[in-house]
Amino acid sequence: MNDYQYDNQTVRGFIISSIFWGVVGILIGLWISIQMWAPSWNIAPYFTFGRMRVVHTNGLAFGLGIGAIFGIFYYITMRLSRRPLLFPKLARFHLYLFNAAITLAALSLFAGMNQSLEYAELEWPLDIGVVILWVIFAVNIFGTIIKRKEEQMYISLWFIIATVVSVAVLYIVNNLFIPAGLFKSYHLFAGVNSANVEWWYGHNAVGFIFTTPILAMFYYFLPKSTGLPIFSHRLSIISFWSIVFAYLWTGAHHLVYTPLPNWIQTVAIVFTMFLIAPSWGSVVNGFYTVAPDWSKMRTNYLTKFFILGITFYGLQTLQGPTQGLRVVSQLIHYTDWVPGHVHMGTMGWVTMVVVASVYYIIPKIYDTEIYSEKIANMHFYLVLIGQLIFSITMWITGIQQGALWKAVNPDGTLKYTFIETLVKNYHFWHMRTLGGIIFTVGMLFFIYNIFMTIRKGKALSAIKREGVR
Amino acid sequence: MAEDLDNIASFEAKETSRKLPVGWLILFWGLIIWGIYYFVAYTPAISGWSQEKAYEESIKK
Amino acid sequence: MAGAIYRKPILFAIVSAIVILIGTAVTMFIPMLTPQMHPKLENLKPFTPLQLAGRDIYQREGCNNCHTQTVRPLKTEVMRYGEYSKAGEFAYDHPFLWGSKRTGPDLARIGKKYPDMWHYKHFEDPRAFFAESNMPSYGWLKGRSLDPEDIKSHMDALSFPYTADDISGLSGKDEMDALVAYMQVIGIAVTKTAASEAKPRVKAEEPENPLAGDQKAIELGEELYEGNCEMCHGEHGKGDIGPSLVDNIFLYEEGDLADDDYFEIINNGTSEGMVEEGRTAKGGMPSFSDQMQKNEIWSVISYIRSLQKK
Repeated sequence: MNDYQYDNQTVRGFIISSIFWGVVGILIGLWISIQMWAPSWNIAPYFTFGRMRVVHTNGLAFGLGIGAIFGIFYYITMRLSRRPLLFPKLARFHLYLFNAAITLAALSLFAGMNQSLEYAELEWPLDIGVVILWVIFAVNIFGTIIKRKEEQMYISLWFIIATVVSVAVLYIVNNLFIPAGLFKSYHLFAGVNSANVEWWYGHNAVGFIFTTPILAMFYYFLPKSTGLPIFSHRLSIISFWSIVFAYLWTGAHHLVYTPLPNWIQTVAIVFTMFLIAPSWGSVVNGFYTVAPDWSKMRTNYLTKFFILGITFYGLQTLQGPTQGLRVVSQLIHYTDWVPGHVHMGTMGWVTMVVVASVYYIIPKIYDTEIYSEKIANMHFYLVLIGQLIFSITMWITGIQQGALWKAVNPDGTLKYTFIETLVKNYHFWHMRTLGGIIFTVGMLFFIYNIFMTIRKGKALSAIKREGVR
Repeated sequence: MAEDLDNIASFEAKETSRKLPVGWLILFWGLIIWGIYYFVAYTPAISGWSQEKAYEESIKK
Repeated sequence: MAGAIYRKPILFAIVSAIVILIGTAVTMFIPMLTPQMHPKLENLKPFTPLQLAGRDIYQREGCNNCHTQTVRPLKTEVMRYGEYSKAGEFAYDHPFLWGSKRTGPDLARIGKKYPDMWHYKHFEDPRAFFAESNMPSYGWLKGRSLDPEDIKSHMDALSFPYTADDISGLSGKDEMDALVAYMQVIGIAVTKTAASEAKPRVKAEEPENPLAGDQKAIELGEELYEGNCEMCHGEHGKGDIGPSLVDNIFLYEEGDLADDDYFEIINNGTSEGMVEEGRTAKGGMPSFSDQMQKNEIWSVISYIRSLQKK
């Protein structure tokens, strides 16, 4: 009889796996940040920037992000359905397959097997693996929800369902490739069409991996950890439907001023700007939820993570749409501004909410308390400072690059050669590495805290078993 | 081990469940109106604007 | 009753799928069925086996992580890189490689900009050309031989035409040869007419160097020469990838050229078949009009003249 214990262990397995891949991804991130200013850190052929950057992005998006999503979604779905997973053994198999897939993914990317589409770099045999993983996940999630013992589906389940459906559509369409051998394939689409399909996928990978799943966590764990109910159900409904509707129109904002037909770019920019409204629907809902008792920010350490997380989400969803506007895109597209933007989202919003969810889940699984709130607070401030140094530095770098590329002399000639504009980035890139190191140290505090909580939990359950005997 | 199963009713506030903040509503409708303007102004088939034409203009100066 | 959907997961999934597919259809599926998404320039050719092999290496090494391949229709960008990108240039790009970040410069117009030798040397040691470049060295691609059978299967997968000679010609070539061949074909299908409108060939306003013999100009010229010219024309103009500047052969014919010809070549660059003073160029010299101001070009000429006198 599965009394949740077995499923909880699967959840824990996913969380630990995702933390492991997170560490790998972050360390590679640090490494490539050094390569930006010290080319001797490129060690050919496997450890050059061009290969490692995709290991960094894939490792964190799929290893840390998707791993955490799998585990945390299983956890949330069980509780909102008031029953264990429908297929517990399948979920365990899913965990093993996930780790095998990520391992192969990392190795294949180091080996240079790369489809060259951002966030869809994995070669076609691994794509098939990813689809199988997703189907297994979908079967279990839907099965559990269908057989639930609670009539209503809470908002988090809406976001979970939307995520499962959308990622499946996005991933399959964009990964339509013509195989040329086992380790090589070519995009079925060419040129502008290839670009349009890729960024329809690429932007929505952000939407349905870094946005909707994290919102599912936010809407679930914020009331759970604070004891405060979500402010407005109606606001949740409008935000949900408008975000899933509008997101799919926006991919072409990555292609502003490219040869893609103007009208597609314009439509994308319009819907991108509109996304501010549903995004801020969730931000406002979060703020108003905590508004009756702001003292929770001091008394409940998790509230800080969630509220700062949703604040960065709010900033992210203001900055992102603005970047899509032609007048802004002109200046900052292709510069370091963009990695600055991305890292506010990933280091500020996604990581904050995921780690807070993990802080909530792990003690619950062991029926205990977190090992140390003090360490959790240290962790909080370190990742906050690290992320701010990183993002702010990159925004300044980006504006500077954009301005230098455009600068002209009084006689109309360009003022700077490309190499002159590159050299001016170096001290900013040093700062970025520093921000990354601070962030990494913060994450080590987190890992230590989780590790010690698990140890404490295991000791406790051993005592309990002894007691029963 | 006792599982803490969720009571969905406790997740959402009762008395404010149908509220939409006025500022947010202004944002929502404002963005839709702005979107219509931007779509009209920057769609070649409607306004005649295009990035290529804008470029030709910029080099004439 | 609209609220029922929140109790029916399958219905909910179907409705969400429809909602996400609306934007997908309008911005992606429907355009895909129209010719506007499949344009092709008349003189665009499919990749040859060697070029495709080079493109595979470009993909494998993740060059697109630092280099874009699309020039936006913006004034200074066209000045820096050349003619803005046209939709019809990419019909054979599976996938597109426009990239999203310029840690290094855009490569949309790199084809034929420099001679092959420039690329070989630059890949091997980028810092020999630009002391502060952060590009990794790719000298290790040399000597890694190509696999003709493999490349043939890639050509087949894309249905690109090739001859048996094309394939047999691959043996003996290495990955560096392939990558350079790819570099030289990027963005050359676009007609140059519009580009020359944006960037007219400039004639020198003065027939003679106004800064001739000026000591300060020579010093400035030396500095500029070392930063811009030395990688091709060698130390003190002795010649390397590019021709010597201190012998008496210019544009493949005996006899010096006048100051204003020097100016025009530095300012405008050369292209294959271009005629200067009755001499026909073979191309390979990039234009420096966007990097150097007029007096800087004259200073470089003063410096070159000072070398010739030695």
